[in-house]
Amino acid sequence: MPFMTVRHFTEADIPVRTELLRENKYQTNLNDFAMSADDRALAEGMARTISEQHHTKRLFTMCGSKGQVVGFSWITSIDWRSQACELSFAVLPRYRSGFGFKAVEAAHEYLREQLHMDVIINQVLSHNTMMLSADELEANAQIRAEYDSYTVGRWRTACYWTVTRDDVRDRKLREQARRQEIADRVRAGVQGLS
Amino acid sequence: MTEIQRLDPAVAVAELRASGDSARGFLGLDPVTQNDSLLTQELESLQAQLFSAGETLVGFAPNADQPRQAYVASTSADPEPLRALLEFLATYQRCTTFVAMVPDGVEAAQGFAACGFERVGVLPRHRWQNYDWQDVLVYVGRTDTCRS
Repeated sequence: MPFMTVRHFTEADIPVRTELLRENKYQTNLNDFAMSADDRALAEGMARTISEQHHTKRLFTMCGSKGQVVGFSWITSIDWRSQACELSFAVLPRYRSGFGFKAVEAAHEYLREQLHMDVIINQVLSHNTMMLSADELEANAQIRAEYDSYTVGRWRTACYWTVTRDDVRDRKLREQARRQEIADRVRAGVQGLS
Repeated sequence: MTEIQRLDPAVAVAELRASGDSARGFLGLDPVTQNDSLLTQELESLQAQLFSAGETLVGFAPNADQPRQAYVASTSADPEPLRALLEFLATYQRCTTFVAMVPDGVEAAQGFAACGFERVGVLPRHRWQNYDWQDVLVYVGRTDTCRS
């Protein structure tokens, strides 16, 4: 069984995601509209996404190896013809230390493998160093947008960058080369011992 | 003769999802890329009906341009549930021809061949799945050659 799986978001997931929308870090790092809406309005919004908005917006549930809900990812601004979308994700607080990066990777894989997205747009507010360090964010950012969002009482700067099919292929090739190099070193070491 | 049982839309969607990879491309649907609500809406717009026969799911959607023709699909290589579906369509819908569009490599293709369908063409690179384009095979069957 794979470490992380992506499945469609269902009505049963609504209460868990509602709770996450109300969490402090979520509001600072993504958006704080949940503070101005009641539970029913939030639930209705998500139900509408499940049933009506397939062509512009999709919600997914990220699950761990035992099927437990680890977090959510969602795509917006979907351009099916150009095969581009913007990806967002939020991991439940108790899974943040271990699962965050895997969740992002699994979401990217699903979007490319099955939904045939070519270009995935990432947006991270510059103070948010939960997944990437400030230096990494700075290195990734193709665009820095000041006064991008207003969350929890302050204006926030956002870093935007795209990940294309070529980027993914290059990264995979680099990883393969690195693994090969390690394997070669180990093999050479073993031969040196005998 | 194998009995087939008509499924309500909600049950049909649940069965499609439970069928895993064999339901991908079933009447053009795909539980991996479509959520339950979208599958339900697609089934409705196709005017499709699904039936179960044991573990196998079969279904049809009428061809609006040719009322004596139906698009048919199956999740298994077993020709018997398919024969039962064709019998139903011939008897109650007066169908004379059937079209199946089967993603290359799925086992349902064997069921259509065993049932007397003729492979008439290939739609090259017709759908995207598992990081690759996939050909779709087009099968045509006729009531006089396909029914047991």
